[in-house]
Amino acid sequence: MIGAVPGIVLAVALLGGLAAYLRVQRDPPPAWYADGGVISPTVGLTRTEKPSGVLRWLTTVDHKDIGLLYILFGTAAGLWGATDAMMMRTELLVPETVVWNVETYNAVFTTHGLTMLFFFVTPVFTGIGNYMLPLLLDADDMAFPRINAVAFWLLPPSLVLVRGGLISDVLGAVLGVLPIGVGALLALEPVSMGWTMYTPLSTEMANPQIDVTLLGLHLSGIATTMAAINFIVTIVTERPDDLGWDELDIFSWNMLVTSGLILLAFPLLGSTVILLLLDRNFGTTFFAIEGGGPMLWQHLFWFFGHPEVYILVLPAFGLISLILPKFCGRRLFGFRFIVYSTIAIGVMSFGVWAHHMFATGMDPRLRASFMAVSLAIAIPSAIKEFNWIATMWNGSLELSAPMICIVGAMSTFVIGGITGVFLAAVPVDLVLHDTHYVVGHFHLIVVGIIPLAMIAASYYWFPLITGRMYNQRLARAQATLLIVGAFVTFVPLLVLGYMGMPRRYAAYPAEFVGLNQVASIGAFVIGVSVVLWLVNLVQSIRVGPIVEDADVWNLKETGQFTREWQWFEDRIEKRRAERPLPDDHTGAESEPSEEATDPEKPD
Amino acid sequence: MGSADESSESDHHAPAPADWPRGFGEASWWPLATAVGAAGLYAGAALALLARGEDAIVGPALPSVLLVGGVGIFLASLYGWTYHGFVARYWKRAAGDGLDLRWGMVLFLATDVMTFAAGFVYFFFVRTGPWPPGELPHLLSSLVAINTAVLVASSVTLHVAHESIRGGHRRRFLAFLGATVVLGVVFVGGQLLEYYELLVVEGAALTDVFGSAFFALTGLHGLHVALGVILLAIVLVRAGRGQFSAERHTAVATTSMYWHFVDAVWLFLVVTLYVGSVA
Repeated sequence: MIGAVPGIVLAVALLGGLAAYLRVQRDPPPAWYADGGVISPTVGLTRTEKPSGVLRWLTTVDHKDIGLLYILFGTAAGLWGATDAMMMRTELLVPETVVWNVETYNAVFTTHGLTMLFFFVTPVFTGIGNYMLPLLLDADDMAFPRINAVAFWLLPPSLVLVRGGLISDVLGAVLGVLPIGVGALLALEPVSMGWTMYTPLSTEMANPQIDVTLLGLHLSGIATTMAAINFIVTIVTERPDDLGWDELDIFSWNMLVTSGLILLAFPLLGSTVILLLLDRNFGTTFFAIEGGGPMLWQHLFWFFGHPEVYILVLPAFGLISLILPKFCGRRLFGFRFIVYSTIAIGVMSFGVWAHHMFATGMDPRLRASFMAVSLAIAIPSAIKEFNWIATMWNGSLELSAPMICIVGAMSTFVIGGITGVFLAAVPVDLVLHDTHYVVGHFHLIVVGIIPLAMIAASYYWFPLITGRMYNQRLARAQATLLIVGAFVTFVPLLVLGYMGMPRRYAAYPAEFVGLNQVASIGAFVIGVSVVLWLVNLVQSIRVGPIVEDADVWNLKETGQFTREWQWFEDRIEKRRAERPLPDDHTGAESEPSEEATDPEKPD
Repeated sequence: MGSADESSESDHHAPAPADWPRGFGEASWWPLATAVGAAGLYAGAALALLARGEDAIVGPALPSVLLVGGVGIFLASLYGWTYHGFVARYWKRAAGDGLDLRWGMVLFLATDVMTFAAGFVYFFFVRTGPWPPGELPHLLSSLVAINTAVLVASSVTLHVAHESIRGGHRRRFLAFLGATVVLGVVFVGGQLLEYYELLVVEGAALTDVFGSAFFALTGLHGLHVALGVILLAIVLVRAGRGQFSAERHTAVATTSMYWHFVDAVWLFLVVTLYVGSVA
């Protein structure tokens, strides 16, 4: 697909982008805006004794800065992975393979999975945790600020290694206009073995980029594990004496359990991909037929892979449990049972992995026991859902943008979760395995509750992080659009699965075309809503009205003005005392001061 | 599960007083430099794989440069980071209780269990299949017995050393710590000798069904022991320069945990791989 684009066009685009970037670099805007904001997104809220400019971001060990770097990186990776998804849904608009070719389709569904799981969801939640956890715990910083920084800085090179095939193809196409050999760059093709990397396919495929990708995954696993260790040590040792385990907030509980899962799941994946690397390059027999065989790969991979599912979703559960009560005017119902259910999910998640392998011909007795645990793990998840509903019961609900996200997250989770219970039953799974039903099921979670919880958090804490408010009407529209898009995209996939359409194929029989087109339109709706989110927040960082009252969400009324908001209030007051707003200095970029004192309130 | 005390708070939240190139507030170059080194190491390893075989797609020069450069930057950064963070001006900095560092080590060891687990699971997979899968190398020799005794003894000497510094007996601490380093070096030497006997003298296969398990697991363990010897040597050098006391011995404690863990892994290896392959 890249080959079809003339290299010269890519070269011009790349050089143009570089020139534009350098222009921006050379002509920085004034450091201070007249409205008291600065160009930095952390308006006057971070310590000032840090170096300025790019240097600050390269050398920072402040949890808030690193959190922002994580969120920025995860968002960029998420947009990249979303591009893959859009490519897939574009191909599936028509039954024949006419948009891309089969190889490209195989590559995009592989890299979509790898990018979204390893470089989008976990980094974004790590970022939110980094920013908020020390504030929620009343700790100065993470336990190991420098390990925090290095764990972040390992991620960009891992992403480059994992997605190297595309990067090298683009570079090859660009440099191909010059009279130099680019054969090496073009020899690396985007990986297309599927994100589960099943052997023997992944051992047999010649594409040398697979080796590079495996090394990239190993490096990213190290980074993720370091961040997890940091979270656990922070929660255990950095709390002040008066903050006992019984006082620990629900988001920290979820990050704690998530980190525990990472601790045991990711190192195993790391070893497993290294064993695959040895098989591919040095003729070892770990996954060869005479050795461990393909089943060993599946066992090791899913022993990582199923906890990974909960590594992705537990932080989302935590954010929902934390933010939901703030917009219901009540405390979280059944707090203690939500904590217990989180821990139960953490423990049980290590006993369900073989439900991914029901169709492999494994021992039926083992199958039955894994079915039992897989069905049982629905119980703690249901406990959460019911407690959330009970929290809303008789509450004074306020349908602000974060709340809309959360209600949407709860509803996508009902469908995404219950469809999973069916898949946990062996006989049903044997029928639905490898159909679009599975894709619909887990995407209602990974494109339902997970991004909705992230976006809820972004809307909830945006004023705290930037000191500015976003356009709330646009935010409400965006949240609604995303929920609609998620249902329109993935419910048809459930139906397509029932009809028997297999997943991972670029072409399909013509009878499936109608529902596929509905799903693709839904995917584009999701795409539009993501762009709206991005535009709203980027624009609001620049010119959004300054927040003067820290109680943005009227939390004091219901006694839920938690520690991080208290911190925000202290910051605002400190800023006001140190640097009163200059009233004679209103530049073009600034809001008039009377507007600045009256930020848009949720209505 | 108390929280860290005051001094430990200031330990890692105050800007490093002596950092290089200069202490500048709440910031440091070391994490970025370390990540650059690690990235070079991984990119170099990837290119080295691409440079193998007849249809190599990159020459041998680039991977070597990246590998050597990456490892160099990585090690230099780690040195700068830990030297300025823990070693320099040792007695002038506030002493924490080291609780966070000890938790960090415990959690790291938990990840290490899982790192070893993949290899063990492979061995259990093939061991429960048709056995033996081929001709097994001659494993149970006096060398293994001696090596095991050496490693167990080193755990004992290290424990005595740790107890000595806790009781304030510096000379005994130094003596037993030195003995531990020597025993560790002897073990690594014994492992190298065993590899020589197996691969060169006996001509055992490196990558057949048993060899894959044996050399992956003992190799990974050997790397762990070698790293442990380096860590112990660092502790020994620091102790020789007068660091550590009855109240301040976090590095001794964390290194001990690591060393005892590696010792325990070895006992598992002996039971499953050496004895288990013939029993």
